[in-house]
Amino acid sequence: MAAAKRKRGGAAARPRKRARAAPNGSRSPAEPGPQGAEHSVPAPVSKGKWKNKERVLIFSSRGINFRTRHLMQDLRTLMPHSKADTKMDRKDKLFVINEVCEIKNCNKCIFFEAKKKQDLYMWLSNSPQGPSAKFLVQNIHTLAELKMTGNCLKGSRPLLSFDPVFDKEPHYALLKELFIQIFSTPQYHPKSQPFVDHVFTFSITDNRIWFRNYQIIEEDATLVEIGPRFVLNLIKIFQGSFGGPTLYENPHYQSPNMHRRLTRLAVAAKFKEKQQVKELQKFRKKEEKIIIPEDPTEIVFETPAAEKPLEIELVKPEPKVNLKKKKKLFQRQRKMQKKLSRVGV
Amino acid sequence: MAHYQNQSSESESEESVVTDKELQAAFSKGVLKPGLNVVLEGHQKSLNNVDGLKQCLSEFKQHLAWVERLDMTLGQAPNVMSPTSYHTPDKATVDPEDDFQREMSFYRQAQAAVLKALPLLHHQKVPTRRPDDYFAEMAKSDQQMQKIRHKLKSKQAAMEKSEKAKQLRALRKYGKKVQTEVLQKRQKEKATVLNAIKKYQKGISDRLDFLDEEQPPPHQGKKEGAGSQRIKKGPNAKRRYKNQKFGFGGKKKGSKWNTRESHNDVSSFRASVAHNKGPGKAGKKGSNVSEKCIQHITHLVHW
Repeated sequence: MAAAKRKRGGAAARPRKRARAAPNGSRSPAEPGPQGAEHSVPAPVSKGKWKNKERVLIFSSRGINFRTRHLMQDLRTLMPHSKADTKMDRKDKLFVINEVCEIKNCNKCIFFEAKKKQDLYMWLSNSPQGPSAKFLVQNIHTLAELKMTGNCLKGSRPLLSFDPVFDKEPHYALLKELFIQIFSTPQYHPKSQPFVDHVFTFSITDNRIWFRNYQIIEEDATLVEIGPRFVLNLIKIFQGSFGGPTLYENPHYQSPNMHRRLTRLAVAAKFKEKQQVKELQKFRKKEEKIIIPEDPTEIVFETPAAEKPLEIELVKPEPKVNLKKKKKLFQRQRKMQKKLSRVGV
Repeated sequence: MAHYQNQSSESESEESVVTDKELQAAFSKGVLKPGLNVVLEGHQKSLNNVDGLKQCLSEFKQHLAWVERLDMTLGQAPNVMSPTSYHTPDKATVDPEDDFQREMSFYRQAQAAVLKALPLLHHQKVPTRRPDDYFAEMAKSDQQMQKIRHKLKSKQAAMEKSEKAKQLRALRKYGKKVQTEVLQKRQKEKATVLNAIKKYQKGISDRLDFLDEEQPPPHQGKKEGAGSQRIKKGPNAKRRYKNQKFGFGGKKKGSKWNTRESHNDVSSFRASVAHNKGPGKAGKKGSNVSEKCIQHITHLVHW
């Protein structure tokens, strides 16, 4: 208890010290813009200004794969107001998480639940009171991927960009509020940086929520993707935190088990059909082979061919006349002939 | 999922006793349809408690300043770079399977948000640009960024290489085409000239203008020196002499054999030269020298 107290005091003392070290820091953001001199560097923390004490617990159940672990790590690096905890046992009931949050002094929670070592579910929850939402997470790309070329300060505050669809339907509106409260870093958070240099984008396409993270490079809104990426497929929204009455159920959601089963069935059906066709062919072949018993009346109308008189040739037949040109003689023979003819003359 | 239920059992449960006659009547009316099972439409409606959602939202909502939340709900930005050349379809028509289109729509949405938010941030005096001398830990390590840079570089190199190879291949193809064209043209020219010569030889035409007609055009544009070198007025002198001596063209085989005429032709025979006989004794002239010397020496000795 005492240790915690001392710690809290220390944490409080540090920002004050820093603020004193850079006294012109709090004044400097008054002149934003191109003058990148050291005077314009604002202090990372302003004393007494950190009002929004939002803390997010990010952790998972046991049995997550490496990709999920990386994603979790990435979220922790990007969200300075997050806290980590040990993995939860799979057999623990979900409402235990509320107590974990309380212990960790967090009021929001991102919980990754892995099932069957292949399906990943994500819970977003407002810890003691609710609401909470459960999503299926698909298409995960982490920060470690080389395709995403952007970079941002660790712990800088993100802009949150939402699709206009979020305002149109009540369940999306609730989700939007949840996203804002969880993903936006509180201003003047001690671990945060004073610059806004990246955007989290929540977009709705194909009845799913697509998450992207872009770096703001220029003032004319040139963006480069930083990562991570993932797609959230909403399953249910509950009134309580990790439980309670269901407020919304996604009609477009198909569980991965069902999806796999359907694909398997489709493959099986194809196979079955092929086999049936094969069997049918076999059957037909067999059918064709059935020997028809010989019909004794079939030869009734057959007339035997007239017999030819036997003929024996006693004289050699005349040789055929060759219609082709006479064979050309060799040169030697031709000369001989010439000579003979000359002699004859 | 479609639910199947046995109709007969269902009807039995509804009305305990159903006679065959009633069933038949129902069938004739068209209420009953053939088949054992009946498909119940769709699955139960999924929950959507709108009021509950709204109430929950109102309870849950935080009322904080925008700077604290930094959220932005906006559609896609109009294409800043080239509004006419590339058209991205609206959000509703984006095909989720088309990677490029989809990513472009996300990018544009983010762009719109940034464009709208940056002035607001400036207004709130929140810096958006990190000064160059501000060093802090980044989300991705330097090692990672190095890796990314390396990959980009190698990719670019590979692309350049392939582009170069492609160009070279195209060039080679073109060169070959030109070469064959030139060859064909030359062959054609040769054929026409030969034809003309043949005609002249046979006496069909008595014009010789094809000789100087064909040659000049290719050389007109060229330099005089090179041109004059190329124009050959027939073979050189040695060749001409040889041609005259041994003949040119036609069958070579047996052309040097003796014939009856050549055998009987003795016009070149000179008795004075033949067989080393005759008045001059020409044949012994050379060998006489030594004899004379010997005679001379003997003569001296005799003296």
